[in-house]
Amino acid sequence: MTPVTRREFLSSSAAVGGGFLLAMRIPEREAGERLLRTALFEPNAYLSIASDDTVTIFVVRHEMGQGVRTLLPMMVAEELEADPTRIRLEQAVTGPRFAGIRLHTSGSGSSRGTYEVLRKAGAAAKEMLVTAAAERWGVAAATCRAESGAVIHHGSGRRLTYGQLAEAAAAQPVPEEPRLKDPADFRLLGTPMRRVDGPDIVTGRARYGIDVRIPGMCVASIERAPVLGARLVRFDAARALQQPGVLHVLAVTSGIQHGVAVVAEHTWAAMRARRELAIEWDLGREQTFDSDRFMADFPRRLDEDDLYVVRHEGDALAALASAAARHAATYVFPFQAHAPLETMNCTADVRADGAEFWVPTQTQHRCMEQAVKVTGLPEEKIRIHATLMGGGFGRRLFADYLAEAAEISRAMAQPVQVVWTREDETRYGYFQPCTAERLEGGLDADGRLVALVHRGSASDLTVYAIHGGRDIYDDTPPDPKAPDHYSSGLSPWGAFDNPYDIPHLRVAVADVPSPVPHGPWRAVEYPSTVFARESFLDELAHLSGQDPLAFRLGVIGEGRRMIGPIPLDRARLAMVHRVAAERSGWDQPLPEDGRRRGRGLAANVYHGGSYIALVAEVSLAEDLSDLRVERMTCVVDCGIALNPLGVTGQAESGIVWGLSYTLHGKIDFKSGQAVQRGYRHFRVLAMDEMPALDIHVVPSRERPGGFGEHAVPMVAPAVTSAVFAATGIRVRRLPVTSTALRASG
Amino acid sequence: MPTYSLTVNGRSRTVQAEPGMPLLWVLRDLLHLTGTKYGCGEGVCGACTVHEDGKALRSCLVNVADAAGRRFVTIEGLAQDGSHPCQRAWLEEDVAQCGYCQPGMIMTAAALLRTSPTPSDDEIDAAMSTHVCRCGTFDRLRRAIRRAATTEAP
Repeated sequence: MTPVTRREFLSSSAAVGGGFLLAMRIPEREAGERLLRTALFEPNAYLSIASDDTVTIFVVRHEMGQGVRTLLPMMVAEELEADPTRIRLEQAVTGPRFAGIRLHTSGSGSSRGTYEVLRKAGAAAKEMLVTAAAERWGVAAATCRAESGAVIHHGSGRRLTYGQLAEAAAAQPVPEEPRLKDPADFRLLGTPMRRVDGPDIVTGRARYGIDVRIPGMCVASIERAPVLGARLVRFDAARALQQPGVLHVLAVTSGIQHGVAVVAEHTWAAMRARRELAIEWDLGREQTFDSDRFMADFPRRLDEDDLYVVRHEGDALAALASAAARHAATYVFPFQAHAPLETMNCTADVRADGAEFWVPTQTQHRCMEQAVKVTGLPEEKIRIHATLMGGGFGRRLFADYLAEAAEISRAMAQPVQVVWTREDETRYGYFQPCTAERLEGGLDADGRLVALVHRGSASDLTVYAIHGGRDIYDDTPPDPKAPDHYSSGLSPWGAFDNPYDIPHLRVAVADVPSPVPHGPWRAVEYPSTVFARESFLDELAHLSGQDPLAFRLGVIGEGRRMIGPIPLDRARLAMVHRVAAERSGWDQPLPEDGRRRGRGLAANVYHGGSYIALVAEVSLAEDLSDLRVERMTCVVDCGIALNPLGVTGQAESGIVWGLSYTLHGKIDFKSGQAVQRGYRHFRVLAMDEMPALDIHVVPSRERPGGFGEHAVPMVAPAVTSAVFAATGIRVRRLPVTSTALRASG
Repeated sequence: MPTYSLTVNGRSRTVQAEPGMPLLWVLRDLLHLTGTKYGCGEGVCGACTVHEDGKALRSCLVNVADAAGRRFVTIEGLAQDGSHPCQRAWLEEDVAQCGYCQPGMIMTAAALLRTSPTPSDDEIDAAMSTHVCRCGTFDRLRRAIRRAATTEAP
C-alpha cells in the first residue's frame, strides 16, 4: 500500500459562512488497483462543521445497499469523537469543487479507499478544535479533551461544542500528521452499527430515483431496437398519440440502443402506449447472433497459441510435459444480467441555461460526461443529484439512461422521468461476459501440484474498465490483440492473482469479441475465474486421491509475497480454510437418509485484502432431481471488520447472489435478442431455497479489505464440488440444473 | 376520463384514470405514495404489495376500476409512526440493504402475522418466496419475522 503523503491528503479550505471546512484527497484508482497520481494536491472530499454543530462529509461514494452511508460517518466519528448518527454523508456532490473528480463506487472499494483518509480528516479536525478551545480558554491543549462533539477542559469542566469552535478551528494550521488511534482503542469501528437509513426504508419514506417527483414532470417509456445494434428507420406515432395521457412521441438515439420514446402524463400511460407504436427497424448485422452457438465455438480460441500471457512463473509448459500425472478441464460461464429491483430511471430537467438530473448512479462523473455530451451545456451549468439506488451491482456504472432522459427533456423543454420496464431491464444492459476457461495441471509422484496452465477466453476481457461498454453503433472493430487490452497487469482477476504456491504457473488470455454490451457485474471477473480455478483444484484433489481440504492446504504454501501490486498473505488463506473446515464439520459424516449428500470447499483472496473460504453442503434426490443447498459455512478475514453487521450482511448477500447464478441465472441470445424477459425467466434465488448460513468473521487488526462482493465467487465452485461429492458428476458449465445432471449422470 | 373513489390509508381519495390503470400507478403517480414500489408490473416480484382488509395484495395486478370503492393500506399507512412490530423487528435485525423491496416484504410479513401469529419456517417461506430481493436479505428477513411474531404475541 502506498503511504499517503500530506500533500496528497489534507488542507484546510475556505469555508462558506465562517464554518470549518477541511479538504482531503481520497486516492483515485483506475482499472483495478493502480493509483492515479497527481503532482498537486487536488481535493476530492471534504469534512465540514457548521456553527449549528452539523458535521457533514462530502464524499463521492454511493449508497446501493452496501452501507456506505452508515460506515463512512463511523470512520470520521471514531477519530473526531462525535456521534456517528449525527454525521451526514453528502454523496450527491457535483459542482465546481468536484469538477473533474473521477470517483465511482465499485470493486468493493469504499472502505478500502477511504479508511485512512477519513480517519485522518477526523483526527486533524479534532486536533484543530482542541487547539482552538485551548487558545480561547488560555490553557494548554493537553489539558483539554474531545468527547461527543465537544471540547472539555479537564480542570474547570468548561465545554464548547464543535459548532461553537468551528470558526476558530478553521484558522488553525492543519496538522502535518494527525495522530490516529491504535485500532485496539477503537470505540466505534469494529462494533455493530445498524444502517442509518433503516427507518426511512421500513416506512416507505426512502426516496429512490424512481420516486423523484418534480413539478411539471412527465414520464417517458422507450421502445428500444429489438436486436443488438439495430437502427431506427422510421416510426408511425399516430395510434400511440391517441392514447389517453400521451403527450409526445420521439426518436431517442443516445441510449444503449436506438429507440422511440412515448412521453406521457404518467408512467403507466407511457408504458401502455408503447404497444401502439409502429416502428420499422434496420435489424443489422447482429440479427443472427446466437449465444449457444457463440459459446460452443469460442472455447476453440483456447487452443490457439497466440494467447496473451499475463503471468508466468517457472516453466509451466515444460513442467506440465514432464509431470507424473496430468489433467485438463474446461469450464463455461454464461452471460449474466444485473437485474436490480429498481429498474433504470433518470429524471432530467434540461433548460436552455442549465440542467439538473436526479439519477440512481454509481458514477457521477460518467453521468456528467453524458449530460455534457447530450445537452451541449458546460459542466458548471449542470447539477447531478445522486439518489438512493434500488441495487447497483455494476449496472449503474453506466449512464446510458441519463443520456436518454437528457435527450428527451432537451427536445421537450420540460422535466421528464425515463423509466425502464422490467422487460427492458432484462433485455438491455451491460451484461457479464461469458467465458470459457481451460485449466491443465501437472502433479508430481507425491500428488503435489507442480504445474498449472490457466487459459481464459471471454467475450471481453476488460470488463472492469467502465468505459469498456463498447458502443454497439461504433463500426470501428476493436483490435483484439492490442496490448493495452491486457496491460492493466491485474486481469483477469482470479486467474492473474491465483494465490496458490505453484512452482510453474502460466496464465494466458484471449478475447473473442461478441456484440453483447458488457460491463462489471458483482465481483467483476472473479465469478468465472474462481469457478474454474477452484473447481479444478477439487478435481485434482480427487484425482490424486486426497481429501480436498488437505490437498488445498498443501498448495496454499506459506509466507507473504507480492503478485504484481497485490500483497498476499498465505497464512490468512490457510487459516480461513481451517476455520471453515472446523465450523462446517468437514470431517464429520453426513446424514444417511436416502438423499445423496456432499460437501464442497472453495476459497478466494480478493485483491490481497480479504480472504474467504466457503463450505457448501448439498443434497439431491436419488434420481438427481431436487438439488438443495442445505448449508453454507463462510469464513471471512477481511481485516478489521469496521462494521461487523455490514460485513455479515454483505456475506449473506454475496452468497445469495452466487446461488442465484449457480442454480438459475443466465442470459441467452437468439436472433440477436436476449431471450429472458423478466424475473420469470431470469430467476434469482427465492427465500425457500435459502440454505442455513454460518458466517464467521475472523477477528483481525489488518487493514480493511473491503467486502461488498467478496462472498460471491466461491459459491459456484463450492456447490459444484459438493454436487460431485454427492453424485460423482462434474459440473463444468453453469447453471447447475437437475436436467443437466441427469444428462451426464 | 372516468372518476373513481377508493380509500387509501383511511382517507377517501378520488382519481381520474383510465379503467385499466393498475392500482400501483394510481398510488405512485396520482396519489404520490411512492413507498409502494414498481419492480416488475406482472405480479412476480412483490415490491408493490399493499393490504386490503389486512390481506396482502399485489397492486400491479388490480386495476383502478376494480379497486373503486375498496379500502387499501400502503406501507405509509401501516403504522402512524413506523412502530408496527414488523417495522421495529426489521430495524432490530438490520434487514434492509438497498431497501427497495422491503416495503413490499414488510406488507406481506404483516399480513402473514395477522393470519398466523407464530408462523412456522415453512409458512414464512411460503409467504415470502414469491418476493424478489436481489440483495439477498433472506436470512435476516426470516429472523425479523420471527422476532415480530414474538413481540406481537400477547
